[in-house]
Amino acid sequence: MKQSRLFVAGLVASLAMVGTTSQAIADNDEITRGQLMAASCKACHNAAGAEKGVPDLGRISPEVIQSQMRAFRDGDRDATIMDRHAKGYTDEEIEAMSVYFARF
Amino acid sequence: MHNFTRRHFLKAFGITSAAALTGIGCAPHAARNGAKAHVVVVGGGSGGATAARYLKQFSPDMMVTLVEPNATYVTCYGSNWVIGGFESMDSITHGYHNLRDRDGIDVIEDKVVGVDADNRTVRLESGDSLQYDKLVMSPGIDFKYDDMPGIEEADAEKIPHAWKAGEQTEMLRSQLLEMPNGGVFVMVAPPNPFRCPPGPYERVSLIAHYLKEHKPRSKIIVLDAKDNFSKQGLFEEGWEMHYGDMIEWRAASDGGLVEEIDVGEMTARADAGFERVRADVMNFIPAQRAGQIAHDVGLTNDEGWVPVDQRTFKSEMDDNIYVLGDASVAGAMPKSGHSANNQGKIVAAAIVRELMDQEPIDPSSANTCYSLITPEHGISVAAVYKYQDGAQAGVEGAGGVSPSGETSSFREREAAFTRAWYAGITQDIWG
Repeated sequence: MKQSRLFVAGLVASLAMVGTTSQAIADNDEITRGQLMAASCKACHNAAGAEKGVPDLGRISPEVIQSQMRAFRDGDRDATIMDRHAKGYTDEEIEAMSVYFARF
Repeated sequence: MHNFTRRHFLKAFGITSAAALTGIGCAPHAARNGAKAHVVVVGGGSGGATAARYLKQFSPDMMVTLVEPNATYVTCYGSNWVIGGFESMDSITHGYHNLRDRDGIDVIEDKVVGVDADNRTVRLESGDSLQYDKLVMSPGIDFKYDDMPGIEEADAEKIPHAWKAGEQTEMLRSQLLEMPNGGVFVMVAPPNPFRCPPGPYERVSLIAHYLKEHKPRSKIIVLDAKDNFSKQGLFEEGWEMHYGDMIEWRAASDGGLVEEIDVGEMTARADAGFERVRADVMNFIPAQRAGQIAHDVGLTNDEGWVPVDQRTFKSEMDDNIYVLGDASVAGAMPKSGHSANNQGKIVAAAIVRELMDQEPIDPSSANTCYSLITPEHGISVAAVYKYQDGAQAGVEGAGGVSPSGETSSFREREAAFTRAWYAGITQDIWG
């Protein structure tokens, strides 16, 4: 129940962002540190990676990205490598990057 | 700074006329508006292609031109899988059609032969020249054959380096196919710093994979210029598990340091002359430096690499030139395809912000280097980098290598993620 509410909240947030997509990366907007961090994640977490088993973060809500990154970081979710990556980010950084994936 | 750029302008063009020295009134004004600016990117590898794509993504109206001499790019990462016999050249070869047709990047198949930094122009082999507001160079590596007595660049036709992927990859593969069962494969591994730190050790792993199946009496000897290497514990654990004593690695201080290669005799002289190691197939990976064009333009330091402001990857030598990828001095970031990919994004953001008169941001990025020990046994090293105190530094407590002593299912999952990483990053770079 908790999981699905989280998913719906994320979906709504994602849909709400669709309308602003083109503006978000337009040249009169500011490229932020969070956006650059999210761009780094996209090397693996994109559509091609998803075909081979790595989640495409463009299809996951910011809320779920945040909760799962914290879970990896704090040892609450098993991983082969995401535990090692997640330890490199603060809560604020995770939040800052999480909102950009759906906009790329 | 001014004198320096003048000097390398002269060096690159060989011009000595008074008109050139005074540079009368022909320099363009930098576009104040990012949308109108023209950025030229030199080199269509992992760093250059990423920079070009992300410039367009961050600033869709910007004019971006990518100059690359080859119609396709073959990644060095993944080339060991071809040498090991379980991937095709096609699967590691990428074209520029998505950049050209979908991203709106002007891709020119040509070679840059000179840069006039004062007038912000690059000269192409075809005779054309291009004017730029900002220049991004991702020239990759070249080899220091002079550091090894007995062998020169032309000998790569007999003793391949296979460290720039393509024909060299295929040559090494075909030499292994022709090698007799019971033959000796010798790798002469390079000193630091070099492209892809775990690469040589993945290569011997996957050559062992091939030989174990097809030529099991053969032997692999690694003569190393170093006393340790990336992911060493994990590699040695895997070598023992899968290949017994087929792979023999010799540290520099334990007889591994090669002093001379005899190309005719196919031998490497090591251990202060006490040892001559004969090979049926030899793979000499030379010491490395930044790609030649970086030297021609005058961007390199005494060690042969390009010093940059590690916050933006702007050259320390010129205010309008950015250098990224293996050629750059990038603090803790390794010379990897993934680092180049990250740096392409950092450069794209830095250029767009500078053209918009915005302060640079302190970038943070993640690097993952996967290696295969067998097609089903993957290992990794990860790191998160942040710009702090003037350098790209690894975040303490994050990253590190795969755990040792893990289950075969853990190794299989990392092997699957190795392929997912390749599919993901090559889509990110070439679309």
